[in-house]
Amino acid sequence: MDFTLSMRQKQIRRMARQFAKAELAPLAQEIDQEGRFPWEAVEKMGPLNFFGMQAPRRYGGAELDSISYCLVIEEISRVCAAMGLTIAVHNSVVVYPLSQFGNEEQKSKFLPSLAAGEKIGAFCLTEPNAGSDAMAIESTAISEGDSYVVNANKIFVTNGGVADTLIIFASVNPDDVKKGFSAILVERGTPGFEVGLLENNCGMRANPVSSIVLTDCRVPKANLLGQEGDGFKIALTALDTGRIGIAAQAVGIGQAALDASLKYAKERIQFRVPLARHQAIQMMLADMGTMLEAARLLTLQAAHIKDEGGELSGPSAMAKLFAGRTASKVVSMGVQIHGGYGYSKDYPIERYFRDARVTEIYEGTNEIQQIVIARELLKRGEE
Amino acid sequence: MNIIVCIKQVITGDQVKIDPHTHSLVRSAEFSHINPFDLFALDMAVQLKKMHSGVITAVTMGPKISEEVLREALAFGADRAVLLSDPRFAASDTLATSYVLGMGIRKIGKIDLTLCGMRTTDSDTAQVGPQLAEELDIPHVTGVEKLEIKKNLFRVERTSDGFREILEVFAPALFTISPKTVLRIPSFIEIQDAFTQYSIDCWNLEDLNADPAKVGSAGSCTWVEELIPIAQKKSCAFIEGETQQQAKSLFSKLIEKNLLF
Repeated sequence: MDFTLSMRQKQIRRMARQFAKAELAPLAQEIDQEGRFPWEAVEKMGPLNFFGMQAPRRYGGAELDSISYCLVIEEISRVCAAMGLTIAVHNSVVVYPLSQFGNEEQKSKFLPSLAAGEKIGAFCLTEPNAGSDAMAIESTAISEGDSYVVNANKIFVTNGGVADTLIIFASVNPDDVKKGFSAILVERGTPGFEVGLLENNCGMRANPVSSIVLTDCRVPKANLLGQEGDGFKIALTALDTGRIGIAAQAVGIGQAALDASLKYAKERIQFRVPLARHQAIQMMLADMGTMLEAARLLTLQAAHIKDEGGELSGPSAMAKLFAGRTASKVVSMGVQIHGGYGYSKDYPIERYFRDARVTEIYEGTNEIQQIVIARELLKRGEE
Repeated sequence: MNIIVCIKQVITGDQVKIDPHTHSLVRSAEFSHINPFDLFALDMAVQLKKMHSGVITAVTMGPKISEEVLREALAFGADRAVLLSDPRFAASDTLATSYVLGMGIRKIGKIDLTLCGMRTTDSDTAQVGPQLAEELDIPHVTGVEKLEIKKNLFRVERTSDGFREILEVFAPALFTISPKTVLRIPSFIEIQDAFTQYSIDCWNLEDLNADPAKVGSAGSCTWVEELIPIAQKKSCAFIEGETQQQAKSLFSKLIEKNLLF
């Protein structure tokens, strides 16, 4: 067992860190406050392959291993969690399932522009009455000649406001949602496609999370990903991968909180000594560092299992559950260390505090992760 | 055009550790990276290659882990990488280092241009560039900001004592490059290619046909006799009063401490 990163992984991490510091750090606070999507950053990230990190080379991707992928998501999220979210979702629940389940024609049509960051991807599963309970979707895709007529009301779509290529989950068989559960690629601009209002979210404010409404939207059958009825499998495969990315994102936000807290604890003087000299603060810092390291190891382990082709559901759910909870705890402790200043928008810890919380909710709530984990544990025979 | 870019593996800023017995830097793979000054030389080489075509060879002397900085150079645009590595090269001062680099460059072949960073972030001598030029018996200019090629000579510009100095130098020549431009960041694909598309030539003392008496501590005419860490005291003072008053007292404090003239 070897816990050291390879030279290549270290270089990739260094590059992501360098980029985040140079290009995202000056923007992060401003775009959070304005709730603005940073197109200027996207333009720079595209040519550096941030939007096609694991896509096949022949479609313009960089074919990074999953550990490198996690390191990049962590570094970007450490500086700007909202951009970490944009690329995590784009890469792991759009580009990845498209690479895995798309046919040659679909891959050549959609992947190059996605991998180059010229088009942004989104994953549309959640609906007003379906989320954790995915089978409750009411969206339909009714066969009509060479097309599906899609009617869908999707909510909380990450990247929704800016996405060009979307994977929509709908049933081709309204009488039997399970049997008809399908994944269909829909392009922005298709008649009947509409971006709803942007969510006014607590955190990740630079990401344009929106609803997507499709009304009698005619989509060519050639855009069906996999076969009719494959949708649930595709969604779960995408989410198993996506959860590793969210875990890495949570680690990044937590690391940012620890970085900020260490800095503040050394600067702030109380009772004539820096905060860092007070044991109560040291204990918090120690717990933050330990929890984060554990979360990071679980995340990188899940990434390793993915690259080895192992059973991913349990490990990725564990990584996401633990990393999300860790991020929330760590940012909360970070706010505590900052005292009153931690509650002020003048210090970035306040943003980390808001950004961290959703990592326990999206791409499967903690409770859904627990269901997945328990199912895996109970399935195992005695060893 | 054949361009050599000399690079060095340096230790990440706050991770500098000194061996108490040898007084030399302790190098570890975890906390080292390419000397940032060398990237400006590499960037200059990449710009020249774009205009005039050619081959860029990155050269470094160091232990096997220095392969890492050569991979970085390849990601940044070098076409070929050479590692000069031999336990007998250890403890070389700048003169011995220049000798080894010179022997390596001779082995590479006919070179039109050799570029170096202006200095390094760890030992910070700025000596290797000029010494290497002497070793190769070619002209050199330090701190070059602009470089153009005119037939068989180079036209270079630098700032010196408040003057803009423009010099013309016959090829082959060596320049150390001033850190002036904004560096580009290599893409993930370039990093991937640096690891998968290239092999690194690794040459030892015998490969270079080098004289053992001119390398390592035997070939060095300087050594570190003693190294004493300097304790830096920091203190924090709050300036009170209205903004204007604060500015005034800050100004006088800076004057008092000789930080403003």
